[in-house]
Amino acid sequence: MTAATAPPRRPRVRPLSLAILFVGTTYLGYLSGFPYGLGVFVAAGAVVLAAVLRRSRSGAGAAYAPAPVLAVLAIEAASAPVGFGTELIAGLAALGFLVWLADDPARPAGGPLRELPTIAVPTLALGIAWTSGLLLPTGALPLGYAGGLLALALAAVAYLVIRPAVFDREEA
Amino acid sequence: MSERQSRSLQWRPLSVTLIGVGAVLVFSAALTRDPVPIFLALPLLLAPVAAGVVGPRHSPTVRMQFTVGGAAADVEVRGVVAPEPGIDARDLEVEVERPSSLGERSPLGIERSGTEVRFRADWFAPEPVITVVGVPQVVWRDPMGLIERDTRSTAQPIVVSRYPPELLRIGAVRLERTTALPGETRSRRVGESGEFHGIRVARPDDPPRQINWRASARAGVPLANEYDLEKTGDLLLLLDARTTPLGAALDERLFSIVRAAALGLSDSFLRVKARVGLGIFGEFLEVVPLSTGRTQRVRIERALRQARLSPVVGPAERCAVSVRRHFPPGLTTVVFSSLGDESSSDLTPYLRRRGYPVVVLSPSPLPLITADSTLSGVDEQLARRIGNLVRRDRIARAWQEAPTIDWSDYWSLGTFVDFVRRPRVRRVG
Repeated sequence: MTAATAPPRRPRVRPLSLAILFVGTTYLGYLSGFPYGLGVFVAAGAVVLAAVLRRSRSGAGAAYAPAPVLAVLAIEAASAPVGFGTELIAGLAALGFLVWLADDPARPAGGPLRELPTIAVPTLALGIAWTSGLLLPTGALPLGYAGGLLALALAAVAYLVIRPAVFDREEA
Repeated sequence: MSERQSRSLQWRPLSVTLIGVGAVLVFSAALTRDPVPIFLALPLLLAPVAAGVVGPRHSPTVRMQFTVGGAAADVEVRGVVAPEPGIDARDLEVEVERPSSLGERSPLGIERSGTEVRFRADWFAPEPVITVVGVPQVVWRDPMGLIERDTRSTAQPIVVSRYPPELLRIGAVRLERTTALPGETRSRRVGESGEFHGIRVARPDDPPRQINWRASARAGVPLANEYDLEKTGDLLLLLDARTTPLGAALDERLFSIVRAAALGLSDSFLRVKARVGLGIFGEFLEVVPLSTGRTQRVRIERALRQARLSPVVGPAERCAVSVRRHFPPGLTTVVFSSLGDESSSDLTPYLRRRGYPVVVLSPSPLPLITADSTLSGVDEQLARRIGNLVRRDRIARAWQEAPTIDWSDYWSLGTFVDFVRRPRVRRVG
């Protein structure tokens, strides 16, 4: 069998990013409040499924790898009861998911270190949001401010998505 | 810069998914008054925006060098892409679009380093063909795969032509000259001869006498002498672009083969400074007037590349009248026709009546029909025999009007070359 006719090799598993994703997702599953530890098992299953899809030889399978983890994270976060640190775990699980996304073995450009600037921005925002939520006094007024800022941020994101040319800068 | 290259940042499907899930989580948090989904949504919403801010703010410029090599049926595409400073070459995705008329031997091979991307594609031409290999698409993509930008390059598409190699040695055929220039004398010598012009890299079909052995020894590669040719002549290539009952797909493939053969013939004769004209007859006649030189080669190549079959079948007499209007009589004429039906052989008598000596080169549809046949066993053998009989009968009838060459092995035109190189009785007076 020549190199030309050999089937493409399976991408290798990157253990570090997979472990980060696994810990974040299963811990959020543990906090999600599903009975009999179901949240943990579902989260673990989703991570395993994502890893298997990513190892598939065809690019089509790997493209769907983030879907199960994303779905499970969303379900767990929606069902998780409010508690001390639960929201922080949710945010950290999302960051772990981004690290795993950046560490795609199918792409030579991948690697969490090269994507550090992109991950740093959400990390910073998450830190500010959590400390604000922790330190600000409770009451209707701060909640109103937070709601207004959130709506503004959503509107900004929607505008950027619709008008990507905003990112363009004219060359000198 | 093409239209595609001038587009701004593009969101990839992963970005849209992250933003969509983030938005759903925010709404669910608002509905349930639960802050946990918001904290999960925050990184998902911000990651694509951060990727857009951190990445290049305009389409990166890349230096691209790509070549198309290979001989006979092989088409080898090789290239190097180097981005502008500040852009990591590992973030570049290269995509080479294969023309539909070419097959793929192996998938696109890509080697990356921090400064450049090398790519190679090995294709093959199942039949003689003229096609264009477009400039490979290069996009910059962030390492997470959230956004991408088209790049800008100055590379140009490359025209690939593959035709039977025998056509390279057909140029030594003595052609009739229709318009002698004032003071010009006809050369009595047949073949490539004349004053020494220069040295070029030797071709496989160069005779040993033409090899410059001293220069080859000095250079380490075989080199051959090139001569200013004293002989010139005129040739008209006439393509029958009318549809036949064979069907659109088969007609299209045969016409593609014919276009490649016509380009090969014109290349060969233009190389020996003959004047070559081109006519493409569908409903009306489109012509490239007689001329010689490299510019004429470009004109003919462009006309052949743009030539398409005509859905409306024009009468043969119209073709002959138009030919007479554009080309002088006495011109050696090669008619390319599939002879797919009875009526497609009607060009020859009209052309002969107007004084054009005609040779018909007819690509046989039988190999294509056999390759696509769904029959098997006895049925297939019977169909093949009947097809051969019909074809032989059609060629025999065409021979009554003009010499007709049945071209069934598309990668060999030895029969045709041998026929036209045969010494002919020259006209006296």
